[in-house]
Amino acid sequence: MGESAILVLIISAVVFSAGGILAGKLLVKSKPSKVKSEAYECGVQTIGKSWVQFNVGYYLFALIFLIFDVELVFLYPWAVAAKQLGWVALIEVIIFLFILFLGFLYAHKKGALRWM
Amino acid sequence: MNTLITVSLLGIAAMLSEVFRFKKFIQTVFIAAVTGATGLAVLDWGTSYSYFRFMVLFDDYALAFSILFLVLTLIWLLLSQEYFCNENTRADYFALISFSLAGAIILSSFSDLSMFFIGIEILSVSAYVLAGSNRSDIRSAEAALKYFLPGAFSTGFLLFGMALIYGATGSFNLSNISLWIIANHSNLPVMVNAGVVFLITGLLFKIAAMPFHNWAPDVYDGSPTPVTAYMSTIIKAASFAAFYRLFVSCFSIMADWWTPLLVIAAAITMIGGNITAVYQNNLKRMLAYSSIAHSGYLLLAVAAINQLSKPAMLFYLAAYSVASLGMFTLVNRMGNEQQLDKLKGFAHDNPFYAALITLLTLSMAGIPPLAGFFGKYYVFLSSIRSDLIWPVIVAVIASLIGVYYYFRIVYNMYSKPAASAHVVSLSGFDKSAILITALLTLLLGIAPALIADII
Repeated sequence: MGESAILVLIISAVVFSAGGILAGKLLVKSKPSKVKSEAYECGVQTIGKSWVQFNVGYYLFALIFLIFDVELVFLYPWAVAAKQLGWVALIEVIIFLFILFLGFLYAHKKGALRWM
Repeated sequence: MNTLITVSLLGIAAMLSEVFRFKKFIQTVFIAAVTGATGLAVLDWGTSYSYFRFMVLFDDYALAFSILFLVLTLIWLLLSQEYFCNENTRADYFALISFSLAGAIILSSFSDLSMFFIGIEILSVSAYVLAGSNRSDIRSAEAALKYFLPGAFSTGFLLFGMALIYGATGSFNLSNISLWIIANHSNLPVMVNAGVVFLITGLLFKIAAMPFHNWAPDVYDGSPTPVTAYMSTIIKAASFAAFYRLFVSCFSIMADWWTPLLVIAAAITMIGGNITAVYQNNLKRMLAYSSIAHSGYLLLAVAAINQLSKPAMLFYLAAYSVASLGMFTLVNRMGNEQQLDKLKGFAHDNPFYAALITLLTLSMAGIPPLAGFFGKYYVFLSSIRSDLIWPVIVAVIASLIGVYYYFRIVYNMYSKPAASAHVVSLSGFDKSAILITALLTLLLGIAPALIADII
């Protein structure tokens, strides 16, 4: 069972992915034109280039948001089982939050939260 | 354990130095903490305790490698003084270095697959950022990207391997996995074999062994030189420590099955790395290829997997890392263009340090009685004990090729300078770094038992 199943899986994965690309190459008629290669923006005509640089602040905000989001994800399982886990777990969670708070202080000091 | 906690707290302290304005003293704090952590590791010597519900196990192997990483970091600080000059980024760099050291210590002490993964991620993520830390140089950014993409890719391989191993054995714990494999040795499910292959692939990526080495030359070349020195010594040593620890504690019973894979990778790496290094005219790139070639010799020690391979690996890594830190001190002084021609006339201006660098070069080439020779001797000995005869012959041929390009460095140092050429000059810190590494190389060469007999 085991080995042949993996073999079948590998072969079908290769055939499926390569076959799709190959079929696309064989079946599609390629007639590129300027209009076709424009970025599709809901049918509205595009203005300027699509190669725009976004303000780095967006990324910084998103990253910091992500850290605290993940922190909350860690807190949920603890909150559900808080009564059984008792004081030790509470202290551990406080240490965890404290370390993240230090990280927040660092980010603040580095000016990651200032909009430029 | 105390070592790991000290180093992790040091990373947080380095970040806080930005907030509480003790950035000026962060280097002093760093040296004190790393020295202290080394001391704590020495104090724990001979004990073997498990922490965090069998997540990490600090035995002599883990402690020996932790001490190696910390001592190498202290030497490394000498050659990277200018890297920490910028007030704005100094705290960040120290924090990243501390975190990657913590990752390295975890990699030498894990006893659970999840801890192995966390260690390798802490180590790599800091290294990705450090590779791109020279923000004004586009090649540094390129190096960071080229390091990050294959790194992330290889992490995928590692995770897939771990998932398959977990699926077969039902445990992340190394000793449980080992027990399960011993119990089911006669008919192992193919999942275990597939998992081992994925783990090997991921780890070969991390240690830059052929055929998965292609990221390494560009990354080593593009990163700031101190970071390259850090990557090719401490990070490489940590990856090897993890590789051996994982395979000796989990899969040694099925060694017959995976040894050929490693031996073939080792043979290609030794020959390929050394031959490619011959054609390099850039010293930094040459050292990158030589570091790939050294991975090959070390892989032989992992493949041999007997009592001798542990001390062989530790000794080889110590000898290689010390010598390469000395070499990178020289590269660091060569500025942005590290052509070999730039070395011409170096011996005329600094006869003493040229002699010391010649010594380091000879050690890397494996000439007795220097440390590099005994590193190779131990590795070959342990391979021969495991009946790996033809790989040792390949390794000897490869190191003969190596002698050629190492002598090109010496040749260039002792040639006459081209007219109006700018000759490389050394600062006080550089001189002490070269002196210390050369002394250590000599000491380990004269008394190899100092390191080889402790584990």
